[in-house]
Amino acid sequence: MAEVKFDAASRIYPGTEEPAVNKLNLDIGDGELLVLVGPSGSGKSTALRMLAGLEFVNDGSIFINDKDVTLAPPQDRDIAMVFQNYALYPQMTVASNMAFALKQQGVSKEDRMARVKEAAKILDLEPFLDRKPKNLSGGQRQRVAMGRAIVREPQVFLMDEPLSNLDAKLRVQTRTELADLQARLGVTTVYVTHDQVEAMTMGHRVAVLNFGVLQQVDAPRTLYSAPANKFVAGFIGSPAMNLLAASDVGGRAGIGGVQVPLSDAVAAAAGAHPARELTVGVRPEHLQLGSEGIPGEAIVVEELGSESFVHVRIDHLGESTTIVVRDEGETDVRRGDNVSVGFNGPVHLFGPDDQRISG
Amino acid sequence: MTAATSNAPSREEQVKALQKREARRRRLPLLPALIFTILITQIPFVMSLYYSFTDWTVTPPSPRTWTGISNYTDAFTNSFFREAAVTSIVMTVSSVLLSVILGTGVALLLDRKFFGQGFVRTLIITPFLVMPVVAGLVWKNQMFSAAFGVINWLLEAVGLEAVEFASKYPRWSIVAVLVWQWTPFMMLIILAGLQGQPASVLEAAKVDGATPRATFFQITLPHLRPYLELGVLLGSIYLIQVFDHIVVMTGGGPGSTNVPYFVNQRSIGGGWRFGSASAFSILVVIATIFIATFGLRVLSGLLEGEEP
Ligand SMILES: Nc1ncnc2c1ncn2[C@@H]1O[C@H](COP(=O)(O)OP(=O)(O)OP(=O)(O)O)[C@@H](O)[C@H]1O
Ligand SMILES: [Mg+2]
Repeated sequence: MAEVKFDAASRIYPGTEEPAVNKLNLDIGDGELLVLVGPSGSGKSTALRMLAGLEFVNDGSIFINDKDVTLAPPQDRDIAMVFQNYALYPQMTVASNMAFALKQQGVSKEDRMARVKEAAKILDLEPFLDRKPKNLSGGQRQRVAMGRAIVREPQVFLMDEPLSNLDAKLRVQTRTELADLQARLGVTTVYVTHDQVEAMTMGHRVAVLNFGVLQQVDAPRTLYSAPANKFVAGFIGSPAMNLLAASDVGGRAGIGGVQVPLSDAVAAAAGAHPARELTVGVRPEHLQLGSEGIPGEAIVVEELGSESFVHVRIDHLGESTTIVVRDEGETDVRRGDNVSVGFNGPVHLFGPDDQRISG
Repeated sequence: MTAATSNAPSREEQVKALQKREARRRRLPLLPALIFTILITQIPFVMSLYYSFTDWTVTPPSPRTWTGISNYTDAFTNSFFREAAVTSIVMTVSSVLLSVILGTGVALLLDRKFFGQGFVRTLIITPFLVMPVVAGLVWKNQMFSAAFGVINWLLEAVGLEAVEFASKYPRWSIVAVLVWQWTPFMMLIILAGLQGQPASVLEAAKVDGATPRATFFQITLPHLRPYLELGVLLGSIYLIQVFDHIVVMTGGGPGSTNVPYFVNQRSIGGGWRFGSASAFSILVVIATIFIATFGLRVLSGLLEGEEP
């Protein structure tokens, strides 16, 4: 069981100017499942590999259990890693794959087999122990990769997009199993994904990275309800939040000609900036179609059965802009209908520096 | 069931017929090349097979008479042939093994990034591109010679006595040249294998706490198995037929007459006894097939040994 700490850790790849991970500060608690999420190239894998010892840390430090491991080789860190392509040892059977790390530690053959059997039972891999990885399905390989990690009973699990090679349905199922397994084992886990749904459903806390810079680290719920900046606001949530440069309606921020509802505290804090320098963010589920509000025209209706999303063209700042509004399933709205968009939940406001304005 | 339906071909038969037609259509265009290949490769072989059962001597010209397997039984009682066979085996096995081991070592060194990598690789490959006769001559005169050889120059420089390697150690002089020529070939094959190994597997081994040594023996070597097998197979097939080096370096001097050279002595090299020479060469072919199947199986068995 372990705590992990990144202390202003940076990684600059040789031959590049910009750090791939820039002064990352993260505290990961004992038994926590922390998800690193961000768009492609944001430095998630790099951060994970720094923790694994596969990538040098150019600046700052990394601690596991208060022990400085910044310069320690991977084998001295007591971590287990699940790779995106699983990286199973192709010439070894499933059992040998899972026992490999134990063999390196000099664990006796009986103990190795006992621990492999135990892990195989947890992961339903018992029938496959004598097979080679190439004779397994993608999902089974993924479980072998997991098995290889759990037999070691390491301090920390590191997982780099472990589900990205599975089909959509299996991914959802495995996601749940994985979260459950992690909770049962109680091993501190750092989980990398670019899928924000995976991040939100699995993470105890979620760290959002962009261009190697940590944007926000919080519980999924907080990330959703109080995004720290414009990037997080746009990244978390599906469909994405509507983000618009605010229009000035009577000195207050607005969309089109309609003032957005704000708490007094937020309105007061926003008052420091002219309305036209602010950004308004509102999630589709916090908008509704009704008889009053911002007038517009429905141009696309996405019917999902349980709900639907209506893309509404509105007149905003003298241009036509599209915003997405959530509506109930089996909606009556059709393309070309004239609709009015009203507010039905919190509206987020971001300052000229893109940071959240809170009351 | 009516008679009509039972006579009609079943679905299984129909599918089989379709598959057959498909196979025929695929093979047909290959036919001319196949016939040509059979003509130029198999007919000489079949002819030697036939000669090997005859007593055919050219000088003095004598009628070819069928002698059955006596040429073969002779081979086993003929002490010269036995010696040649031992030489063949020792030379082939030692040069294949040495060049595979050295080739693996060089490949491991070349499989990392460094400045001028491509240039160094090209330099290392060149011995393989040298004609066997030229390689033999160069080594005999420029390296091994007691009078002008580089090696002897070095030996004398450190105060040792010069050695005429090619006549003193004929067999090992030839093995040395063969290893020099074949190490690059093995290196190329092994290097291809090394570069086909996913980096993430090696990283996984690192994270799993494997030392570089353990990683090499437990992961890299099993991964290289098919490449090693290929190298050993091709190397054996070529090196069992070595001839040119022997001609130019030792002329079959003591301990360096292998079976091909012996066959040559027996036939066009002066013996003119084509019957027994054919029998000996057939034995080489059998030995090659034996190496190709059995030898590989043994090697695979050695590398297979894996416990969880
Ligand atoms: N070996 C390398 N040398 C130079 N630059 C690299 C190297 N590996 C990654 N980078 C750069 O570092 C940045 C972060 O890469 P990283 O692999 O950490 O991204 P990621 O967040 O994992 O993306 P993805 O979701 O696509 O896997 C990228 O801009 C990438 O181009
Ligand atoms: Mg990545």
